[in-house]
Amino acid sequence: MLHSAGVSTLLSVENLQTHFVTRGGVVRAVDDVSWDVEEGETVALVGESGCGKSVSALSIMRLVAGPAGRVVGGRVHFKGRDLLQLSEEEMRRVRGREIGMVFQEPMTSLNPVLSIGRQLTEGLEIHLGMTPGAARRRAVELLGMVGIPDSERRLTQYPHQFSGGMRQRMMIAMALACKPSLILADEPTTALDVTIQAQILELMKDLSRRFGVAMLIITHNLGVVARYADRVNVMYAGRIIERATARELYARPRHPYTLGLLRSVPRLDEPRRARLDPIEGQPPDLTRLPQGCAFTPRCAFSVARCSAEPPPLAPVADGGHVSACWESARLDRAAARSAAAS
Amino acid sequence: MTGDVPLLEVRNLVKHFHVGGGLFGGRAGIVRAVEGVSFEIRRGETLGLVGESGCGKTTVGRCLLQLERPTSGQVLFEGRELTTLGDEELRPIRRRVQVIFQDPYSSLNPRMTVGQILAEPLMVHGIVVDRERRAARVRELLSHVGLLPQHAHRYPHQLSGGQRQRVGIARALAVEPALIICDEPVSALDVSIQAQIINLLEDLQAGFGLTYLFVAHDLSVVRHISDRVAVMYLGRIVEITDRKSLYDVPRHPYTKALLSAVPIPDPALEAERERVVLGGEVPSPLNPPAGCAFHPRCPIAIDRCREALPELREITTGHRAACILA
Repeated sequence: MLHSAGVSTLLSVENLQTHFVTRGGVVRAVDDVSWDVEEGETVALVGESGCGKSVSALSIMRLVAGPAGRVVGGRVHFKGRDLLQLSEEEMRRVRGREIGMVFQEPMTSLNPVLSIGRQLTEGLEIHLGMTPGAARRRAVELLGMVGIPDSERRLTQYPHQFSGGMRQRMMIAMALACKPSLILADEPTTALDVTIQAQILELMKDLSRRFGVAMLIITHNLGVVARYADRVNVMYAGRIIERATARELYARPRHPYTLGLLRSVPRLDEPRRARLDPIEGQPPDLTRLPQGCAFTPRCAFSVARCSAEPPPLAPVADGGHVSACWESARLDRAAARSAAAS
Repeated sequence: MTGDVPLLEVRNLVKHFHVGGGLFGGRAGIVRAVEGVSFEIRRGETLGLVGESGCGKTTVGRCLLQLERPTSGQVLFEGRELTTLGDEELRPIRRRVQVIFQDPYSSLNPRMTVGQILAEPLMVHGIVVDRERRAARVRELLSHVGLLPQHAHRYPHQLSGGQRQRVGIARALAVEPALIICDEPVSALDVSIQAQIINLLEDLQAGFGLTYLFVAHDLSVVRHISDRVAVMYLGRIVEITDRKSLYDVPRHPYTKALLSAVPIPDPALEAERERVVLGGEVPSPLNPPAGCAFHPRCPIAIDRCREALPELREITTGHRAACILA
């Protein structure tokens, strides 16, 4: 699916590089990564722990913890400005007001000694200059929007009086408060039970449609984003190794890592297999990455060239499908053969 | 497996926790964590125990080991009642029942090498007294779980999450148990590693004739590994049957909702999929609703559901559900 003309790019990350200095050496947590989000679009950044997906989001928001961690290169264009060049003062206006944030564990990002109402109205008064009365009315409206009933009373309560699902709804209300054009959601449902996960994801999708807010969803779970993302970026060892529309990526993965992830999980919609098909080996040690493709030691498709030369992210099909694999053509033929066989 | 005594039998297990009413005078209450749970596990089989957080599934596991003393009910292991035994009498039984935890990092001593971690239970239980032979047994255990002899000299923090879980499994195997309680053993691991650990657990079960109680919230993983499955909601089993019946013809509305909430990694299928998104949240076990505890969230509840507690009744042979409409 091509992007229709007239839709413009909201966020564009170009050649982003974020390094951490550790005792074991320099970790290239984000290693020359480029991707974008169109207005109103939902984009996913998928990968396992340590792949650089969360650090990417923190880098964009300029929240990487120094001095060990530092954005060492790249540009982050957002509404015509490079966020990496803004003053700290200007950046504070972007955070919370133009870009909302939702994190995995709402309890650690909410202030335990401030009432729910105060946490909502504070941003409205500071960012939008609302009067306390107007902010209060907006807060009641926001809680209603995210499905928290009895909102007048709820505003006087504290985070510990909310359940996990309710706290996450509250985080979403806070992220939406100043009508941002983009919401960054880092593992927004990972800490929640399955039935609550479904509620929260449906809510986020609904709100993003209603208000035309773009979303960046960061997750390790390919299942979660299948239903909600328009486009998916898969990361491994600090790089994007594949990107496509969600439909294309799940139907025709063109990187061995993406294929491995999809094959390794048991699925309820398929007959039960006698044995699972794991990706062998261990996740990479980021301080000692191989010279070529970082996935080579675990890859079933690797050839001599893979360990010598890192493959570039190159087009493999229409609709912006790109893959960083020397053998991506072979992968497509293998998939076609197994589809014909079944 | 006809006619023999089940390896484990749980009868009417109840566990209440008393809370509050302490120094700061909070209102006293009773958390009804487990409210009359019964099941059995046959030798060599895997029973999956699923449910959301707070449903009591972990407490059931702890009550089996007598790490929590049940409020009432019986736990029979190899025909022997455990709830009346003292700590000393339980010691040989704890060797026969082992646990694998969700987070191997917090259950492995960070100051001990992997070799020391695996040798400890061999010493404590007096299984291998000779030092040389103990080292040989440690190497053997490492190879059973797919680790190398040199891993014996590493510390837990020098291992990846998947390797640490392998050490947790090797430690459980060290004492040659009959039953292993696997409490969310893969949910903290990366997706690419989960399948490795599940395959390993299945290989070990086949190799050593192990029996598993597999406690988890991920219904796809539970379907893969279990022979039979029990679904818990607010301290009670609401449905229990063999794997195929549970996933092909679920009878309880809660089971149906849980299955429908599991995301499928295929956007084309997801787009056509009808989803039952449950409203509300799991009520507090301090104050469970009257009648069927699921009725406030149930899409098909009728008046009668608010009044009487539905019994776990047999719907078809071997398939039991606690719903008057099932």
